[in-house]
Order: sequence, then structure tokens, then C-alpha cells
Amino acid sequence: MKAITFCAAILVSFCASLAWSQGAAPNDAQIAEIVVTANQVDINAGKLAETKAQAAEVKAFGKQMVTDHTAVNKSAVELVTKLHVTPEPSATSDSLKKGGEENVAKLKTLSGSAFDKAYIDHEVAYHEAVLQALDKTLIPSAQNAELKALLVKVRPAFEAHLEHAKQIQAQLEKGA
Amino acid sequence: MAAPAPSVTVWLASGLMVAAAAMVAAAATQPVTHTVTIELMQFNPAALSVKPGERVVWVNKDLFPHTVTANDKRFDSGAIAANGSWSYIAGKKGEYAYSCTFHPTMHGKLTAQ
Repeated sequence: MKAITFCAAILVSFCASLAWSQGAAPNDAQIAEIVVTANQVDINAGKLAETKAQAAEVKAFGKQMVTDHTAVNKSAVELVTKLHVTPEPSATSDSLKKGGEENVAKLKTLSGSAFDKAYIDHEVAYHEAVLQALDKTLIPSAQNAELKALLVKVRPAFEAHLEHAKQIQAQLEKGA
Repeated sequence: MAAPAPSVTVWLASGLMVAAAAMVAAAATQPVTHTVTIELMQFNPAALSVKPGERVVWVNKDLFPHTVTANDKRFDSGAIAANGSWSYIAGKKGEYAYSCTFHPTMHGKLTAQ
């Protein structure tokens, strides 16, 4: 029950943190920081899952998140360097970072199947929130064509990760 | 400079013809190559039919590694890096469903007939 409450709280905080509520759309520098932070948050959680997860598929999923999101960030950093854009923190990137730190701190207190469930539930919520942010804010707001193209290119990965996380979530529920 | 003796000319000409014939033969036996692009977390085309002995090359245009792994494990590329490729020649007739072991939502099918 505790885990469920925790997940619900995290989901709400993630959706809230990714919603752009400052009125004006984010500029490219702010989008760059949001993208890099969003990937980094998932890399950090994935690294923890690689070492702490109990189920093999959860461990493998964590490793995959580290690989894929690291690659996305490498491309994002290369692009902004080439475009001479300096990523600019915003309320959205700050709260994403904070949400990620809270998630990792909470996950560190869990172990075994409780860890697996909390991690995967959060991955489902996180990827849903990022997809929503990509569709509603980040892709429509991106001004530079190459930045927009990169966001469009990585979108299917977030979708595939979400489906993969949901499959594992269903397996964990069956096994519980 | 004097023209080469007739016998040398014949020898050269026949040599060229042999080389040309060898090149034609090589072209004829060169296996047909099909390409499947891996991009946006999809195999494209997702279903491909080839003749046994033809080569299939999977080219990864995504930012991260993928695999081409037959469900029955008949073939497995291992990790294909971003911008990397892997090729396979289907030796026997059959229908081979495959997926990416890293991203289980990605599926494709290779048919050798």
C-alpha cells in the first residue's frame, strides 16, 4: 500500500514538473536543458536498478535505459554544442531534477520486489509524462529545425520504453 | 615507337577478354543484397522475402544499439551500434520472425522462399 501511495505521489509530481506552466513557451536553450535533465534523471534511476533490482528483466530494463538515454543525451549535447546553444535551466528542468533525486532517494530505501515495482511503476509514469511533454510542449515549441528533428527522432524510443515498462509491470503484477 | 608484334597483340587481347569474362561471371554470382533499415524503433521493411542465398543487411540509423535476433535463435546479430550494420544470408527456406532483444516492442519477419 505504501508503494502504491508513493508511486501515485511521484506520478503526480512528474506530471506537474513536466507541465510548462509559465505561460510563454520554452525557448530552445530551455528545451535543451529539459531534454538533458529528463534523460539524466532516467539514467540515474536506471543505474540504481542495474545494481538493486531483483528480477532479471527489471535489471535489464534499467541497463537499457542507461544505454539509450545516454545515447540520446550524447546526441543532444553534440547538437547544442554545434548550434552554440547553452542549455538554460528553468522551473521545469529544476523540478524534473528534484523529482528525479527524490525518486532515487526513495528507491534507495526499498529492496527486492518492492524496489522492482516502485522502479517500474515510476518508469511507466515518467515515460508517459515525457511523451506528453514532447507532444504538447517541447516539439511544438522548438524553433531550431535540427533540435525539433532530434526530438521527433527520439520520440519513438520513449514510446517503446513505455510499452516495454508496461509489459514488465504486467509481469510483476502477475507474479505478485 | 613500333607497334607490338602481332602475337603480343593477340595475347593481350585474349588476356583482356578472359579478365572481362571473369568479371561478368563474378557479377552474375554476386549475391543479391537486400537492406532493412532500423530507424525510429522499427525495422523497415518489417517483412522481407528473399531467395535462399541472398544477403540481407540491417542498417541501424537510430542513436542507440539494436539487435536482430530470430525468435528461434537461428540468427542473432548481437548489438548493432548506432550507424552500424549487420548482414545475414538465409541459407534455408523458411519464415523467421525476429525482434530486438533490447527493445521487445520491435518485430520483423524474414522469409526465405
